[in-house]
Amino acid sequence: MRFSRGFAIGLLAAAAALASVPAFAVDGQTMVITGEDYTKWLWGTQHTDGSVYNFTTIPNEGYGDNGQGTEIDLYLFSKPNKYVEVQGRLQSRFNQNQWTNYGGFGGRNPAFENNPQPCLGGDCGEFDPRSNEYIKIRGLTARFTPGFKWLDSATIGSTDLGMFDPFTIGKIRYIDRDNAKAILFQGSIFDRKLGYDFIRVSLPRLFAGPNFNTGDYTGQDGAYGLQLKLAPAPIFDVVGVVERVRDLEIDPTDRNFDNGTSVADRFKNDVYGVRFGIHPSSKVDVRGQYYHSSAESDPRFGVPTGFGTSGFSPTPAGKISDPAYKANVDLNDPFGIGLSFNLEYFNIGAQYESILSARRESDVLLTEGHDGAWVFPGPDNSAFGVFPGNPTRIGYGGFEGNAQQVATLSVDNEFTDFDEPMAETVIGWKGITVVPTWTVGKWDLAAELTHIDYNTNWQAWGFPNKAIDNSIYPNFESDAGIGSYRNAYAPFQDKKTDLYVLRGKTVIDAGKGVDLFGKVKYIKETDKRMNDARFLPYKPGDCPGGGVACHNSVNPYNGNGNSTSAIYGNPPVITVNGVTGYQWKPFDSLSDDDKDMNYKMFQVGTGYQLTGDLYTSLTFEYYDVDLKDGDTAFQAYQLHNMASGKSQKNKLILAAKYTLGGAEFGLNYEYNFGTFDPNFGGGFVTQFADDQISKDFGVPVGSPGFRGRFGGWNSLIKRDFTQNRLKAFMKVRF
Amino acid sequence: MSKKFWTTGAIAATVAAGVLLAGAALAQSGVSFKDPVGDDNGPGNYTYPTDGVYKRGSFDLTGFDVKVSGKKVEFDVTFNVTLEDPWRMGTGFSVQQVFIFIKTGDGGFKDSPPGLNLGFAEGNEWNKLVVLSPQAPGRVKTEVEAKVAPGEQSAVIIPTRVKGAGRTISATVDLDQLGAGDPSTWGYQVAIQSNEGFPEGKDLMTRKVNEYEGQHRFGGGTDSDCDPHVMDILAGNGNGTPDEAELQHQWLKYECNPDGTRKSGGAVKMVYKKK
Repeated sequence: MRFSRGFAIGLLAAAAALASVPAFAVDGQTMVITGEDYTKWLWGTQHTDGSVYNFTTIPNEGYGDNGQGTEIDLYLFSKPNKYVEVQGRLQSRFNQNQWTNYGGFGGRNPAFENNPQPCLGGDCGEFDPRSNEYIKIRGLTARFTPGFKWLDSATIGSTDLGMFDPFTIGKIRYIDRDNAKAILFQGSIFDRKLGYDFIRVSLPRLFAGPNFNTGDYTGQDGAYGLQLKLAPAPIFDVVGVVERVRDLEIDPTDRNFDNGTSVADRFKNDVYGVRFGIHPSSKVDVRGQYYHSSAESDPRFGVPTGFGTSGFSPTPAGKISDPAYKANVDLNDPFGIGLSFNLEYFNIGAQYESILSARRESDVLLTEGHDGAWVFPGPDNSAFGVFPGNPTRIGYGGFEGNAQQVATLSVDNEFTDFDEPMAETVIGWKGITVVPTWTVGKWDLAAELTHIDYNTNWQAWGFPNKAIDNSIYPNFESDAGIGSYRNAYAPFQDKKTDLYVLRGKTVIDAGKGVDLFGKVKYIKETDKRMNDARFLPYKPGDCPGGGVACHNSVNPYNGNGNSTSAIYGNPPVITVNGVTGYQWKPFDSLSDDDKDMNYKMFQVGTGYQLTGDLYTSLTFEYYDVDLKDGDTAFQAYQLHNMASGKSQKNKLILAAKYTLGGAEFGLNYEYNFGTFDPNFGGGFVTQFADDQISKDFGVPVGSPGFRGRFGGWNSLIKRDFTQNRLKAFMKVRF
Repeated sequence: MSKKFWTTGAIAATVAAGVLLAGAALAQSGVSFKDPVGDDNGPGNYTYPTDGVYKRGSFDLTGFDVKVSGKKVEFDVTFNVTLEDPWRMGTGFSVQQVFIFIKTGDGGFKDSPPGLNLGFAEGNEWNKLVVLSPQAPGRVKTEVEAKVAPGEQSAVIIPTRVKGAGRTISATVDLDQLGAGDPSTWGYQVAIQSNEGFPEGKDLMTRKVNEYEGQHRFGGGTDSDCDPHVMDILAGNGNGTPDEAELQHQWLKYECNPDGTRKSGGAVKMVYKKK
């Protein structure tokens, strides 16, 4: 029988470390209780009210742009004696806790429904914890400082894991900061020269394993982390880190129940890393990070052995390993004229895996990456798909600002509002970023030049001897369109990205000082995708045209007879309004799936401190995207909405922040408008929307488009969009 | 890497150099101080919090500049780290908070506002205090009104705008707010603390120094308030020489009574620019 020895050792160590702490009477002990009233108001012209958040992709959680919600957050802190302190947090649930629930009474009870429907927008009232204003324990932590030379503190309970790093055990996002529970030892040895953090944290069953779960047996699942920090001299410091994750299940081969039950690994993940810094002078700073990860999923426990051509999982299938490393050089004003440089080289392996790495609210790369304005509204304002019931979620404006980069597939943008930063995965990225910054008089100027190549540039998923529809890689929404924040993989990729940014800000000496800021950004991204004719799905001349049906002579790309015809099937011949031809263009050219994106973004804004308590800003952003993203032969991998064409998007953002005593108020109003003029190339017969398509996709009856291989509809009509939305909040600390 | 990538970079660099040359012609009067690298340890043994946002050098003061331009005075406080804004304060920095004590004339206040636990030696009392915080000015103003002694509140100046760029936190105030006189002859003391959005008790948005460092608490001090809660200050003549680190340790040295009150120490001096 196998058991978690690490956990047992951790508990024993905790007991031993704390056993000699003398017991003190509670003398003069005080408990401090503070709190926060957080109230949010959403309004928007999408008129959705599934929850008091703008965005989620999680089924049945709800999202919306209208509603009002309030939560109470109570912080408790006490220090019974100098060796012990305890803190906890109680918080009311927020998700669907709408003011219109009127206290959360009554409501629809799914338990009594023959065909239970999900609770959304608070319609289940007191029968759904998300809408009945219930109070939940969010964190309880005891911290011990026994006074040993080798142990500064032992912490048992909630932690946000902020002491490790985003490549290994990353900091938990703010709203989940108390969800992780752990035993944590921190201290130092060798006269404080060698510091350490040692942790055993329980594995979150919600997401930390293949297919975003940790199987049936979860109570013993955990991760262990050890971090050793050495700073032998002011000019040098180094940190070694080890992470070991074990998701255990009951071993089905153990038939002897008389000695307990054996367990086996459903998923295991080990990461070894080192970070170092060299600080020769205040002018120069050099830092490096190297990690090597390995992971393995055991198919005996229901984890996928492959993801076909689509899949959702925070880890690829099977046994994987890869490194991730980067190096930074900061040159701080080397010429004494206010000009500094930050340089970064990065290389994140395609199979780099740390299941507990940071999922958002961390930024592992220097580049500002892509913008949030184009994710989960595609250019045609749908979430991403080509089937009915998939309208925009976040809204036409998308998220504000540029992305934060995280080294995981498990990117978490769930339960966010439009004014929050979007996170994007950098799995597979390699490249270089140069950021010069300089101050000239009252101007702060900065630029960025980034070149990104990809470790995921491959043909047939990097396994040309396997079937194209048998990938070990989950590719989420598929890598098509202007961007996906969590997709790292595609069947065929030959991609490079160049990113250029110029930023400036200053204060005009008028009144209390007028802030002026702006940005120009250009992204050139090309992806030849399939670049070898042997991967074309059918033999040359297979579809002769002229209304003649394709012959369907498959073109195998390996000796196993595998062909890309499994995903790029030939079109039928159709006749529409007397025109006969193919329903979509046959995939007969390597250029059919080529991507070529010219992305321009301009921003200008101003801000002013109207009073000592009120700051306002007004920002205008203009996006111009000229995109060729394959034609109707490619179909954006069938499931993703096609995005080829010209897009213009405008964002007018009014923001205000007001402070009154311990209360803080914020307001963000956006007016978004723009157009999308699709261009999917030729070689197919245009179809026209009927009443059902009009109803499903919100396009006029009779407007042009075409149906793809799976029956999805891509409209060809030029679209005009407008969206108004507002978020206001109040935080009162008491 | 594409030729276009490098061509664009070269053009950008050329434009930048042109702008720089134009800007370099601008000059201002004032005083400058330096502070030793690596003395961000208060009285000598203070340690950083353990959370990853507190990067090495985050509280290591390396330079302080006072620039006078007409009726405006700009303060630049430079650190031994590139500033980051992990808490999205919107000012270009998050974890630092700077207290600039100025001796503009006779008299003044002998104790710092609550949370720093600093005293000022005889003849080194402060007359004005400029607080550089990443928090909104309204929030800082509210905290000052609630926590600073009424008689001192008018001496506390909260700049309308504070920004962090590169390694420097900057703010500009009206010369009139500081009073009459020549800023280049005034005495200065700069106390480096950490921005605390949830300050304890009567602390003026400062982070605690405890016996043991915590995720968001400094270590190496005591669990009472008899220790000075600052990580770095100016010392000596503000030349940045190694002996100034030792002097800082001496100025911040303290002793506590058994009941947690201060027995001695923790009194600092002003630093003047030698002509």
